[in-house]
Amino acid sequence: MSDPAESFLARHQFLIYRLFSLSGLVPVGAFLVVHLLTNASILAGPGTFQSRVDLIHSIGERVLPIVEWAFIFLPMLFHATVGFVIIANGLPNVGSYPYVGNVRYTLQRATGMIAFVFIIGHVIHLHWMGKPLGGGQFDPHAASSSAAVAIQPALASALYAIGVLCAVFHFANGLWTLGITWGLWTSPAAMRRANAVSIVVGVALAAAGLGSLAGLQGLRGQKLDDARAIEANMHEDREARERLLHGGDRATSAVRPAVGAPVADSRGG
Amino acid sequence: MIKAVETNGHASNAEHDGGHVARRVRVRILRQDVAGGESYWERFEVPHEPNMNVISVLQKVAAQAKSQDGRAVAPVAWDCSCLEEVCGSCTMLINGRTRMACSALVDKLLDESEEIELRPMSKFPVVRDLVVDRRRLFRSLERVQAWVPVDDSYDHGPGPRISPREQEDAYPLSTCISCGCCLEACPQFTKIEVVRRDGESEADFVKRRKAAFDAGFVGAHAISQSMLFNAHPTGGMIAGERLETLTGQGGIQVCGNAQNCVAVCPKSIPLTRSIARAGRAATVWAIKKLFDR
Ligand code: SF4
Ligand code: SF4
Ligand code: FES
Repeated sequence: MSDPAESFLARHQFLIYRLFSLSGLVPVGAFLVVHLLTNASILAGPGTFQSRVDLIHSIGERVLPIVEWAFIFLPMLFHATVGFVIIANGLPNVGSYPYVGNVRYTLQRATGMIAFVFIIGHVIHLHWMGKPLGGGQFDPHAASSSAAVAIQPALASALYAIGVLCAVFHFANGLWTLGITWGLWTSPAAMRRANAVSIVVGVALAAAGLGSLAGLQGLRGQKLDDARAIEANMHEDREARERLLHGGDRATSAVRPAVGAPVADSRGG
Repeated sequence: MIKAVETNGHASNAEHDGGHVARRVRVRILRQDVAGGESYWERFEVPHEPNMNVISVLQKVAAQAKSQDGRAVAPVAWDCSCLEEVCGSCTMLINGRTRMACSALVDKLLDESEEIELRPMSKFPVVRDLVVDRRRLFRSLERVQAWVPVDDSYDHGPGPRISPREQEDAYPLSTCISCGCCLEACPQFTKIEVVRRDGESEADFVKRRKAAFDAGFVGAHAISQSMLFNAHPTGGMIAGERLETLTGQGGIQVCGNAQNCVAVCPKSIPLTRSIARAGRAATVWAIKKLFDR
């Protein structure tokens, strides 16, 4: 107990745990919702998904990493770190007390850990930061096609399905416990109502997540070529707009390869 | 449903009376001779009687002081007092689940399994056999000042009125028997056993133990008692002090919402409602403190 780090944690345990709880909702949970709903737009066609991705990237390639770190990665790392401390201090006993609440308590911890590992893998696999490790396969200029190619292998899609479902359970169940933690719902009846809402949220998000995986699975053969064509067109449109806006100084930027050719490994536009 | 002992080769200890096999109750008890010592299993068999509970089995076990295989053994030690589920002293793990031994009926237990398994509570240090040291449970009640603070001999006049609605709300919480079932089943409440060091004075040891208890989770019972006394017009005069404890180390934030506590409480106290209310009060208290600084 004389360890200063430990006594700092001890003195601010309430604040840290409450920030932990809050961070699960905003920004981490909110990001999960936006992310899954954005992904689900693939079901409306590669063009729709591409325009959603473009919208996100329109905040600028220099600003985006700052936003990502400030509102996604760092809060997530904070949530995960405190989460691991909490898990280490608990003693699950679902074997002796197999009540629903206790099963959910245990699953909340298990899904949190699985989601954490999944997210690390997912970032390496698709986010450009993973490129040095042989990942970073998502190309924001070819959103659907690059994601489809990356996720279509059976093992990848199975792991994504598991990861997404764990993250969704963790969020939806966490929503319910967050309300108890902060005292939003206090009576058993209110807890039941809140539980119903959490289940609806969870099922909707799971549908969005699995739906987008299914949408990517469907992008094969001719459909994949069509997606690439759409993406290339949209990319050219964007480039043309850029040139108009910025005069000739952008004219040297990379030109998209022809339809059907392998997607270039470029992110800067 | 009562099960007779199977008449296999060595079931010779089944007594015959009046031509039919007398029923026997078999128990397996996790024993421990001294605090901090090794624990070991020992089996006992006692004659069955109608309407037996686990305490009456233990009384017979102590009276015969003989294990199932006929060895003379030290009588098993356990705690009990009221025998009607109000004193809270007879908590133990019966067939793996925390509950009151005095209200655990043998016939029902034998429906679940052929043999009854008894273990001491796992979240408190064992003193001997089924007797545990539940000091921390009471220390938690001290931490949250689970009382109405009128400690003088002056006449303060009649106390404030409490509406029937408030009484109805408070009554269930006041039925807590300090049995510790809620703590035993809580995955967030883990055992704290402080052992006296060589050469450590009694005073130093007590101080160290208290500090260890005060760093640990207060537990569902204490959270619920805080809500009981905070809702009381006179008890609520120190509501802030209780919330200070509940937002301190080992406070309400440690609860992981497993809701085992409410499931095992022998008094069916709405513990999760108390916990959520304490969560709300803690939220308000923390925000108020932030702005009142
Ligand atoms: S709800 Fe909280 S106090 Fe009750 S068993 Fe779960 S973690 Fe423990
Ligand atoms: S709240 Fe219930 S389980 Fe906990 S000590 Fe009181 S009576 Fe026992
Ligand atoms: S002996 Fe009092 S509660 Fe069991």
